[in-house]
Amino acid sequence: MTLHPLSARRYALTVLVWAAVWLAVSVAAVAVGSRPWVWNSWAQALDYLRDTLYGVATASVVGGALALSGLAFQALLRNPLASPYILGVSGGASLGVILSSLFVSVLLQPIFGFFGALVTVGIVYTIAQRRGRLDPYTLILTGVIVNAFYGAAIMLTMGLVSPETRGDIAYWMMGNIRRFDLQWGLAAVVGGLAVGTAVIFAFLAKGFNLVAVGEDTAGALGVRVDRLRHVTFVVASLVTGAAVALVGPIGFVGLICPHLLRVLLGPDHRRLVPACLFFGAAFLVLADLATSVLEGVVSPPPPVGVLTAMAGGPFFIYLLRTRWRKVAKVQ
Amino acid sequence: MRRYDTVLFLLCGLSAILSAGCGETEPPEMDGGDALRILSLTPNVTEMLFAMGLGDSVVGRSTWCRYPPEALALPAVGDTLHINLQQVIALEPTMAFMITGRTGIIRGLEARGIRAVALRSDTLPEMFESIRTIGRETGREEAARRLIERIEADLEAVRRRVAGRPRPRALFAFPMTIGSARIMVAGRGTFVDALLEVAGAENAFPDRAHWPTVTPQKAIAMRPEVIIINATGDSGAPDRIEAIRQAWANWPSIPAVAAGRVHVLTEAYLTIPGPRVGLAAGRLAEAIHPEVKEGRP
Repeated sequence: MTLHPLSARRYALTVLVWAAVWLAVSVAAVAVGSRPWVWNSWAQALDYLRDTLYGVATASVVGGALALSGLAFQALLRNPLASPYILGVSGGASLGVILSSLFVSVLLQPIFGFFGALVTVGIVYTIAQRRGRLDPYTLILTGVIVNAFYGAAIMLTMGLVSPETRGDIAYWMMGNIRRFDLQWGLAAVVGGLAVGTAVIFAFLAKGFNLVAVGEDTAGALGVRVDRLRHVTFVVASLVTGAAVALVGPIGFVGLICPHLLRVLLGPDHRRLVPACLFFGAAFLVLADLATSVLEGVVSPPPPVGVLTAMAGGPFFIYLLRTRWRKVAKVQ
Repeated sequence: MRRYDTVLFLLCGLSAILSAGCGETEPPEMDGGDALRILSLTPNVTEMLFAMGLGDSVVGRSTWCRYPPEALALPAVGDTLHINLQQVIALEPTMAFMITGRTGIIRGLEARGIRAVALRSDTLPEMFESIRTIGRETGREEAARRLIERIEADLEAVRRRVAGRPRPRALFAFPMTIGSARIMVAGRGTFVDALLEVAGAENAFPDRAHWPTVTPQKAIAMRPEVIIINATGDSGAPDRIEAIRQAWANWPSIPAVAAGRVHVLTEAYLTIPGPRVGLAAGRLAEAIHPEVKEGRP
């Protein structure tokens, strides 16, 4: 892969176009989601609007955060199937959040989520490394096993609590955006982290590009691959953990969004990073809108996480059949 | 086909013998609980047994049976989902009662020579039928009849207290522990729905449903005039109750929220379909019609 110089104009255009896509989707979601056709009173219209705005805001920050994490994992692990959900990072964050809310404090959920995510990345990365190289098969399999382990740990927790709490945990694990107790503060934190992540990754994007060509090449060109990895993993874990604390594990956003964007924009991470932030946001806003609209048809509607997982499963298989072979052959 | 018929015939015969065995010949009246050793696997069944004077015959309970206080002294063997069969066998029960739709546990207990009876209590009539069944199975039909009469009198007393008052639309819900994406509410047809009716309210959830979950959108659309949140156990802690109140304060268009009529009740018995449903209806009536409690006309 050759790196064309990226003109400021082209960069600005990428940011603006994808920001416009996100904005358009969000405005449409607010317009449709606040149910203007049901009119009772101003107070009720405001409540619907508040619910919808919260949904759009939360879906945006979480979607952006997860898409960026997915992009970074795929770049640095050089693996098209890598994403926070597949690697078990979301699972680790979930376990942290559940343990925190049951046994420590609801307020510490994001911090426990972060540690759960970070520990998982550490485990997966260490196990999948062989003689300084990352084996793509081992990496994905490690993710599968780590996920299974966390699944068992969560089930153990569910076995220890009352049937009602058991139901709550099961429900939370499906990934939900709308809620009764609006968490504007946490949503703002996740939003800040997502934007911060985008800024940090924007600076690291050249490194991502070089690592994608090859670790040796990147090293030869002066990229300190190890340090790049460490910074990226910590940042991605932090933002994933916070996102999971806010909405529960929502799968496959980090897998689908970066790949769709690569098809549209090509492999240059300098453009992919800002595009991922906005496209991930728009993607999850659309998914949340779908559940909100579905509520008119089926009540209760399926949780957002169920929708994304249903879309993501087939997409994963598609990637396995197309991109995976290339990677597996190369390495 | 013939073989199938034969098997069917045999099964019919067998079930006839079995039902004759437990239906027509009354189990011997056993006072003092010498031979009658009962295992109760559901909280409301435990309450029924104690209320019928069978407390001395109960040898084991589920993990969730916490009432009456005497029941706490009994060994807990798990619940209908996860049961410690070794412990059950050690307790040597002759009979087990539980609310369940799962035949596996019934078969498992029957295979070990324990008469296992599955009951239902989703509605008030089902609850009364369960009491009658326990009475029949234990030879305490008279005690069962008296308990039913007492419960009906309790409910009638609550009905009289709220008679003639306006019937607000009330939503009965459970809080959620981790994230409150949705809440579980009492649908029409549940026994809690019946208790709301007794307590002088109309269920704000409009459809027949068991325990449906609702999103904020749905709660806003239902416009309940009273909201009752049953926060039991850990979710009844003061900080959790405050969090529940704050969560509802996000939706001021809901009449109950605007009027400050969101009640967080911590009593576990509100959702236990057993001898204390009259007490539960009374507690609901006090929340729905506060003037009743204060003795105002």
